[in-house]
Amino acid sequence: MSDWGTYTLADFLMFSPRVYFRLIERYNQEFWPLQLAFIAGALALLVPAALQVSRARIAVLPLFALAWAFCAWQFLWTRYASINWAMSYAAAVFFAQAGLLVLTALLPRSPTDAGGLRRHGGIGLAVCGLLAYPFIALVAGRSPATAETFGMMPDPTVATTFGAMLIVGQKRLWLLLPIPIVWCVYSGLTLWAMEDLGALAPFAAVLAMLVVLVVGRR
Amino acid sequence: MTITRRATVQGLGIGALLPLAPRLALGQPTGILTRPIPSTGEPIPVVGLGTWITFNVGDDPVLMEECAAVMAAFFEGGGRMIDSSPMYSSSQPTIGYGLRKLGYPERLFSAEKVWISDAGQGGAQIEASRAYWGVDKFDLMQVHNLVSWEEHLPALLELKAAGQLRYVGITTSEGRRHREIERVMASQPIDFVQATYNILDREIEERILPLAREKGIAVIANRPFREGDLIRQIEDEPLPEWLAEAGARNWAQFLLKFIISHPAVTCVIPATTRVDHVRENLEAAGGILPHEKLRRRMIDYVEAL
Repeated sequence: MSDWGTYTLADFLMFSPRVYFRLIERYNQEFWPLQLAFIAGALALLVPAALQVSRARIAVLPLFALAWAFCAWQFLWTRYASINWAMSYAAAVFFAQAGLLVLTALLPRSPTDAGGLRRHGGIGLAVCGLLAYPFIALVAGRSPATAETFGMMPDPTVATTFGAMLIVGQKRLWLLLPIPIVWCVYSGLTLWAMEDLGALAPFAAVLAMLVVLVVGRR
Repeated sequence: MTITRRATVQGLGIGALLPLAPRLALGQPTGILTRPIPSTGEPIPVVGLGTWITFNVGDDPVLMEECAAVMAAFFEGGGRMIDSSPMYSSSQPTIGYGLRKLGYPERLFSAEKVWISDAGQGGAQIEASRAYWGVDKFDLMQVHNLVSWEEHLPALLELKAAGQLRYVGITTSEGRRHREIERVMASQPIDFVQATYNILDREIEERILPLAREKGIAVIANRPFREGDLIRQIEDEPLPEWLAEAGARNWAQFLLKFIISHPAVTCVIPATTRVDHVRENLEAAGGILPHEKLRRRMIDYVEAL
């Protein structure tokens, strides 16, 4: 329809930045210190996985499925959907991604996959997703209470998932990548419309993932 | 269209010039300008309250209180029309919270929208909206952005005939589908049309406002500040020395005065999260209004910034 040409990014933003970041603050306060438990749990699996401990590698995808499901249920469905009706659909998509992660974990896989560059790139992405992402709030000039952490919020969960998939050398990436990439674009544009510096992070995560994938191709 | 000072004054239901009884019956403070809804003659204050973005606060108790305070100030200042839509996420429950807290002020003029492409679900959506607001029935129900209007409009007119609605209307914003809006205005017995009108977006002056006058359709002007962008753009600029001639004392009132001084405009619906702003907005519905020459000067001034 020709009408679409008349819309700007801001026309799709149905809440104010103040409302959105207060929502995150209240969510973080309600669950504190679960944020630390999610990060510790991810590190407990990703560090041995990066060191090629096979049992840890098997457990990575189910843990990430749990993180995606928690984001879908507690953030997207229960909270974010109250100010953005589209998030009830996003929650369903996140649950679908959790299902895909479980399904992929159940499928037979080859014992060794990840090349050196992909594995190192994956470690870098996972470190960013787990340990650097929470500081984006400060860089963007927001309260630390709005920090986004793995398992609690979609963006760091997606970034860390990218890293994890590269670390464990997942061969069925075509199945697992579309939803995270689409989410990153949506989230980046939403933050961009709110003029938040954090908008760059989801785009950077996708870009880094794709670069590592292409350059690390064997 | 030529707008004379006389036409401007006549177009307004200025307190001193109209019988006061209907307004006093609503307990409305004197001095606020009203305009009659053409289809019934019911006077409505020229400044209402929009809720897009500003009232979408989820279940945040602090922000819900702020919105309730805005509504309280709005009613205290003589406001009546509150406009919302199912598209605005939690704005409807926020309005409901405020209305419950304020004891459902008698002067409320509830303006809602139906916004669903499956027309068969229109009734259920209206009922859900009614439950959020907590009102017995809506005063005005509009077809939002012309979504499935061919199906919704007959249903709304039936509800009106059955006494379950008082007025029926259609909406658009940001200049979209004006030709279709005109067709609906020309062919359907609607009471209201809602469209974007502000000092920079004046397209409706060409055809929609004259048609509204001709057909006796009330006009609600949305996006008076372009969602605040217009204010942010000019707030640091010097106010014109002749500001008082326009009956304004700040930029917001300057912009609102421009809109409501068009005699075909029935009501403008600025949205805000602040009590001081809602008071300022309502203040713009009092005092003098700019005449045609001054309106031209206002446009030139803003366009030159």
